[in-house]
Amino acid sequence: MAGKSGRSIANKPEKVWQKRILSWEGMLVVLFIAVNIFCINISSMYQFSNVLREMPKYLTEVFILLPMAYILIMGDIDISVGSIVCLSATMACTAYNKGIPFIAVVLICLMTGMACGFVNGIILTRFTELPPMIVTLATQIIFRGIAEITLGSGGSVSLTKADGFRMISGKVGKVPYIVFLVIILAAGFTVVLCATTFGRRLYAIGSNKLAAYYAGIQVERTRLIVYSVTGFMSGLAALLLVSVLYGANTTTGNGFEMDAIAMAVFGGISTNGGKGKLQGGIIAAFIIICLRIGLGLINLNPQIILIILGILLVLSVLLPNIFRGVKLQSKSIEMK
Amino acid sequence: MKKNKSILKTITTSREISLLVVLVLLCAAITIKSPSFMTYKSIIDMLRNNTVTMIMAVGMLGILLIGGIDISVASSLALSGMTAGMLMKYGVVKNVFLIFLIAMAIGGLCGLINGLVISRGKVLPIIATMGAMYVYRGLAYLVANNEWVSAEDLGTFSSFALDKFWGINYVIWVLIGVYALFFVMMKWTRLGRKVYAVGSNKEAASISGINISNVELFVYVMMGILAGICGTIAVSVYSSAQPNMLYGKEMDIIAACVIGGVSMSGGRGSVAGALLGGLVLAAIAKALPLVGIEAIAQNTVKGVIILVVIILNVITQRTIDRNNLKEREI
Repeated sequence: MAGKSGRSIANKPEKVWQKRILSWEGMLVVLFIAVNIFCINISSMYQFSNVLREMPKYLTEVFILLPMAYILIMGDIDISVGSIVCLSATMACTAYNKGIPFIAVVLICLMTGMACGFVNGIILTRFTELPPMIVTLATQIIFRGIAEITLGSGGSVSLTKADGFRMISGKVGKVPYIVFLVIILAAGFTVVLCATTFGRRLYAIGSNKLAAYYAGIQVERTRLIVYSVTGFMSGLAALLLVSVLYGANTTTGNGFEMDAIAMAVFGGISTNGGKGKLQGGIIAAFIIICLRIGLGLINLNPQIILIILGILLVLSVLLPNIFRGVKLQSKSIEMK
Repeated sequence: MKKNKSILKTITTSREISLLVVLVLLCAAITIKSPSFMTYKSIIDMLRNNTVTMIMAVGMLGILLIGGIDISVASSLALSGMTAGMLMKYGVVKNVFLIFLIAMAIGGLCGLINGLVISRGKVLPIIATMGAMYVYRGLAYLVANNEWVSAEDLGTFSSFALDKFWGINYVIWVLIGVYALFFVMMKWTRLGRKVYAVGSNKEAASISGINISNVELFVYVMMGILAGICGTIAVSVYSSAQPNMLYGKEMDIIAACVIGGVSMSGGRGSVAGALLGGLVLAAIAKALPLVGIEAIAQNTVKGVIILVVIILNVITQRTIDRNNLKEREI
């Protein structure tokens, strides 16, 4: 017996190390390195400075991924974020063109986003029977509709002067501000999710809403907060998107919601709720961004990139399921 | 007295009848404001332009009934429609019937892949169809190869949407046919009842001997075939084919179902409901410009209407439940 227990102690560190590599996040890190090697091989332009220059355009989606991961972990979904980005960007551009000081414009942009998220949250928490998919589908149409009305018949607005927004898109050396912002926010969101009561509550709600309620968690208040945060982050994404695009139109932010959900799912977060880690989602986001930049550099048709992303998304969920099925089958054969 | 009460009760409890009342009131209100709405030509126009949404809504009904969702429909529609358009442009296939068959086959294949991934691979429907949405749309772009199909390329095919048989467009005949087929299938065939059984309670259905994954596969393939039909119809109605056609239409289709009282969690909903939901959306889209609301505000109004309908639905459901409880107390 002693020998056996001794062996298990001796094996312990190795097992933990193996577990780390074999976990979904470990696989993603390996995939991330593989994608980078692949991109370096296919294009001589894939260098650190070029990647950093291309990055701000894509990083805006990471802002949405962070709160979207919270929502998915709670077992909810929000498909209105793309429209919130569109509305916030429209408001910011219109306000700035009217000569409102830049600080106020930033506030308008963030508050618009937060108000939209709050509306989603209020409807969903007052009428808990409603599925989030349908409510955010309706608000998706409404928010983009309001943006369309604001934009008028032209359907687009461009900044007449861009001083303030140019300030946001500035750089420290070669690294744009937005990269720092993403890193800080990603770290913050991850810590809140895995190390605070609030984060653990999200998992509790996602695993079993009723049990969480009986355990004394204010489920509806938590959902309201998370939806408002999602709106706020969408406003932030809109602000940075405007600083890249210097304008907004009716299709701004189209498909952001799907991209954010795809990143989260690829990162191992289940849309059923209660499962997954934000770290995985963030690594997955960077894999997708690197792949897009790399394949964009060799002028590959963007549609082919979409096809690759779609297949990756389905496979990332399908393959573990199949492996699990095979394992179960072989186990049952052994039992017999 | 008793009968009177029961009529009121049927109106408030039956989703389809209350929706029909809403639709009639809506049409009446629009007609008073603008008499040109209720003419034969205008109604035929309205139906023709919304055939795609309405046909797809009935396929989506099947999927929502088993508690699934399919957001790849607009993409598989674009893929099959684009392929049909390109085949006609280069004169490979001229026969209209054959074109429909090819498009249905492509759509069916798309649906089959979705269905296999969801029913055999146990992937959540929203994830599987989201991936498929990217893939099929991308394939549509690849098929198009930076070209698009114009009305001239289509030749006689664009008249398919305009030609009439007994005073009704072929397109609308297709719509009527699909709805008749689904109405019969959902109500009186074993397959249709199995779909309801799976949606209401998966475990019970499984224990009673229904092969759940086959039913799931069936509804997704059916949706794909309908998407194929709609792809061809969309090409002829808009007399052009572009890879980005009907982008984002899947949300309209789901909205039509939800307005028609189809529950997203499965088991509740009917073919008549989907039809009425599609009609309400179509009437609203047609009526807004007539009553003087600018085209720009249409989306907002549409969104608000969807929101109001679903919230009203919850409120009525709550009152019904409360009344039922009260009756039991007495």
